[in-house]
Amino acid sequence: MRHFLRLLLLALVVLLGTWLVYIGREHQVFLDNKTIEVDGQSFRALKSVKVSVNGAEPVELLPRDRDLALVVGPAFRIRVEVMDEWGEEVVKTIDRELTPGFSRDMMLSMPLLAADREDWVRPSPTVQQEAP
Amino acid sequence: MSRLDRGPDKKRNRGVGSLLADYAVPVIFIVISVVAIPLSDFSATYLIQELLVRIGRNSFLILSLLIPIMAGMGLNFGMVLGAMAGQIGLIFVSDWAVVGIPGIVLAMIIGTPVAVALGILCGEVLNRAKGQEMVTSYILGFFINGVYQLFVLYFMGWLIPISNPALVLSRGHGIRNAISLTGIRMVLDRLIPLQVGTVTIPVATYLVIAAFCFFILWFRKTKLGQDMRAIGQDMAVADSAGIPVNRTRVIAIVISTVLACYGQIIFLQNMGTLNTYNSHDQAGMFSIAALLIGGASVSRAGIGNVFLGVVLFHLMFIVAPKAGRNLMGEAQIGEYFRVFVSYGIIALALVLHAWKRLRDRAEARRSLRGPAGKE
Repeated sequence: MRHFLRLLLLALVVLLGTWLVYIGREHQVFLDNKTIEVDGQSFRALKSVKVSVNGAEPVELLPRDRDLALVVGPAFRIRVEVMDEWGEEVVKTIDRELTPGFSRDMMLSMPLLAADREDWVRPSPTVQQEAP
Repeated sequence: MSRLDRGPDKKRNRGVGSLLADYAVPVIFIVISVVAIPLSDFSATYLIQELLVRIGRNSFLILSLLIPIMAGMGLNFGMVLGAMAGQIGLIFVSDWAVVGIPGIVLAMIIGTPVAVALGILCGEVLNRAKGQEMVTSYILGFFINGVYQLFVLYFMGWLIPISNPALVLSRGHGIRNAISLTGIRMVLDRLIPLQVGTVTIPVATYLVIAAFCFFILWFRKTKLGQDMRAIGQDMAVADSAGIPVNRTRVIAIVISTVLACYGQIIFLQNMGTLNTYNSHDQAGMFSIAALLIGGASVSRAGIGNVFLGVVLFHLMFIVAPKAGRNLMGEAQIGEYFRVFVSYGIIALALVLHAWKRLRDRAEARRSLRGPAGKE
């Protein structure tokens, strides 16, 4: 009985640790507005796009821009406003909720998101650099 | 008649002498501070703010020293083992990018088993070196420091996976000398913000420290606490009374080591930077110096000594360099003076303790001889 209780306590501590990693993990989210080629198809960088993560101050991305947002927790919201070519009027607004969970970093491709592609969440540039 | 007259006077004189001997160290520090504060030209607000931050930062570490003193094991220089365990927890938390309060709690969870294991090792070693606990734990700290460096400098990034390249040395294994703890920096201090005028009070940290103080007060009244006090007074009598002396001593060191682990995590969350190979080095020496400055001795220490010590010790830290610069035109002289006085005080406290023990023994011998022997 004593051993069982100790094992139970150990399991609870491990579970608590796992839960803390889940709720407390900081994710690096790269906001990428570069022309990208997927499946032989080219998706051009957007002229101007404003991205807000978790309701924070929007970041404006011009063609070939890449910015970094740090988010904490298992899920976050993103609002993307695609602007016209003068950067004055909103052409399209996209709201998404992402759940990175235990994963560390990710890159969000704005051209793919604007094109309503499913694969707009890409591996982070650090992971891409490490690949052979 | 004359003997009767002389008796209380002698007792009173001895009482004053004993009181002075007991509080010589804090009195010296209070005198030095009283002289140095006006010389430093610091405003009262600045001093209060600095002291509040430093009390929050250091008190937990110093409080972790009380339980081994209660068990008669002297000043636990082995608390650096707990500090190392806390740092291991922080390295993993930084690698896994867990931030905020979850990061601090996770670092404590990771550090706890390491601290328990090191505490058991330390306790077992100290049981084989009864009477020389302080010097043994001091040297044990150096030994475990070598093992810690082996793990952190060679095994981490090689046998122990570390995924964050920012933590690993350019050669591919080993942890860098300095780790930024931006993710957990001051999260506990800022958890419950309270601003009084221009002074910011880290309420959450103080609540944790208060909880620890209540824990110590409660612990003293428990069966284990009473056993520790009995062992602290006389090990042989405690053993005859059926108290498991060795086991209780190991428990005292384990509790101290685990609390030192938590104390180091609280300390480093306030600092915001982890010096992988140096941060723990100073933890033991600074904490013990502060406790002794608070009027504690090797065999007697209380919560009051902790807070008086941390205030006086850090008051010296704050004012000495500026006072030295204003007085001599050189801040470094003040800093030398502070280091000299702070560590000289450890030696002074230990010498006073040894002298008091000898004096008490002589007094006890004299009292056994009775009135005739006193003549």
